[in-house]
Amino acid sequence: MRLTLLIGLAALAAVLAVASLLAGEVWFSPGQVLRALTSSPPNLTRLVVLDIRLPRTLLALMIGAILGLSGAALQGLLRNPLAEPGLLGVSSGASLGAVIAIYYGFAGVVGWAAPVFALTGALITAGAALLLSRGGATLALILAGAAISAIAAAGIELALNFAPSPYAAYQITTWLMGSLADRNWDHVRLAAPFIVAGGVLLLLSARALDVLALGETQAESLGVDVGRTRLLILFGTALGVGGATAVAGAIGFVGLVAPHLVRPLVGHRPSRVLVPAALVGAVIVLLADIITRLVHIGPELKLGVLISLIGAPFFLWLVLHVQRRTAA
Amino acid sequence: MAQRRRRLVQAVAGPRLGMGMGLVALAGAALLAPQPAFARPLRVMSLNECADQLVMMLLPPAQIASVTWLSRDAETSQMWRTARRIPANHGLGEDVVRDQPDLVVAGSYTTPATRSLLKSLHYRLLVLPPAESFDDIRRTTMQVADAVGEPARGRALIAHLDQTLKALATDKGPPLRVAAWDSAGFSATPGSLYDTILRAAGANNVAASRTGLGASAPDVERLLALAPDVLVAGAPAFQRPGRHGELALHPLVRRYWSDRTVIAPLTAYTCGTPFSADAALSLRQQMRTIATKARTRLPYRADWQR
Repeated sequence: MRLTLLIGLAALAAVLAVASLLAGEVWFSPGQVLRALTSSPPNLTRLVVLDIRLPRTLLALMIGAILGLSGAALQGLLRNPLAEPGLLGVSSGASLGAVIAIYYGFAGVVGWAAPVFALTGALITAGAALLLSRGGATLALILAGAAISAIAAAGIELALNFAPSPYAAYQITTWLMGSLADRNWDHVRLAAPFIVAGGVLLLLSARALDVLALGETQAESLGVDVGRTRLLILFGTALGVGGATAVAGAIGFVGLVAPHLVRPLVGHRPSRVLVPAALVGAVIVLLADIITRLVHIGPELKLGVLISLIGAPFFLWLVLHVQRRTAA
Repeated sequence: MAQRRRRLVQAVAGPRLGMGMGLVALAGAALLAPQPAFARPLRVMSLNECADQLVMMLLPPAQIASVTWLSRDAETSQMWRTARRIPANHGLGEDVVRDQPDLVVAGSYTTPATRSLLKSLHYRLLVLPPAESFDDIRRTTMQVADAVGEPARGRALIAHLDQTLKALATDKGPPLRVAAWDSAGFSATPGSLYDTILRAAGANNVAASRTGLGASAPDVERLLALAPDVLVAGAPAFQRPGRHGELALHPLVRRYWSDRTVIAPLTAYTCGTPFSADAALSLRQQMRTIATKARTRLPYRADWQR
């Protein structure tokens, strides 16, 4: 059952990835793409598929996967269905870092400035949340994360408040909405190492997460180092989500929604949720990115906006559903 | 009076000197021209950057109580040199109370709170809509000129505008296919001042044909499909670090258009003034030069027609 689900999700992601290469300003047929890729003189179709749509597709896959994976890991770690990278301040820390890089012009001087700043921001907020909650229970970590997240959000607003020009403010605002438009191979090269490293760290925590589901005291008594697991998951989330935010801007709700979508199918063991959640995250972001290319109502519909538009009603349903289930 | 007007017209419209020189000449004329015998010289304050430009073109600095701090920025303000000799305000009601002007010129985007405050305090208030076309420019220029009691100077400025437009119209040349966007990432949408100036410069912005809720800069795919001869990028887009979208940085855009890109300064399209046609003139020269000099072959427009 689980294997068929995994294969099914992977196949769905693959189909969407191919569709993502065909969809856009001009639709290509698969035959057209094959001809273009095999014919020797460089042609426009090949240019568009290889240099514009392929990096974009890969980024959508990686970013969706890391968001889904980190959401699943955090929900397991905190034993809280509402956990996601945004809750612990990782997303807003990464956004603040990138905004500082853009705002003070570091991003234009060296290409890797925005990812490195975003990563640093994510690590600082995650680290601060971890330090502040040390010794306390999971709830302390969630509350510390919420507070840190608010501070980082205030920092972003401060940057907007004192933006050097209306144009700079506008650019920061649109960047924060999240998008994959016009990204190129440089972005893939920048984000991939961090996303892969973060993903590996998160997957390493799988066994500890299963034991943690029994409760922290029980896990300790079974020989799981809870502190180390926390560190692993927060560091992995900071690396992966930091890298993703740096190239795509803030994309929320994927981390929250993806684990909940797969849990009815794979059961509630945290380790079993991780990989399917990553695949569902990739599917969500790929699908949303294709939709943004098909909707032509004027300016580009931003990826982060579209996902929030779908994610927020789901969040609402989730809250009500959990309430009903706990009341019953 | 007639003699003064003739001198002004000469100073404003005389030999075509390019926009910067024209502005210096005008500022000089405004300074050197003998003051008319006002019973009480009107002190004018402006709360909007575009209104600032007109007020400074029409009045000597001594008669201007203050202009916005934005007008001191050489990047966006045509009259930044003059603005630096005039007190600055931040477009707030408190500034007006401090300066006690006889006339306040505001823009239609000046905060409603400030405008209603000024109305309730019975200040003489002139609200200017943004000028997006040359007709708008003529109208707003005369609105301010009449309000500050300088209709002759207003007419002289408009005469300069019309003369420059005539010069642009007589030398049509082949139309240029361009893709233009501003530094905020919006395309030069039809009906905007940016588009007006591009049209006067003989350019057709092929990237702005999309209808709907306004238009953003084209994405790389669209740019490749359209293959415009020249890219016109809003000023800081390519020059300033950190203030550009991904479009300007995309390797494909750099490969095909790095020697086909013209930077449109913010002064050219931020505010519509009697010198907007000069901006069009200089833009046209740049676009023509770059279009003839460009060596990079554009991507294969023919095999991918929509």
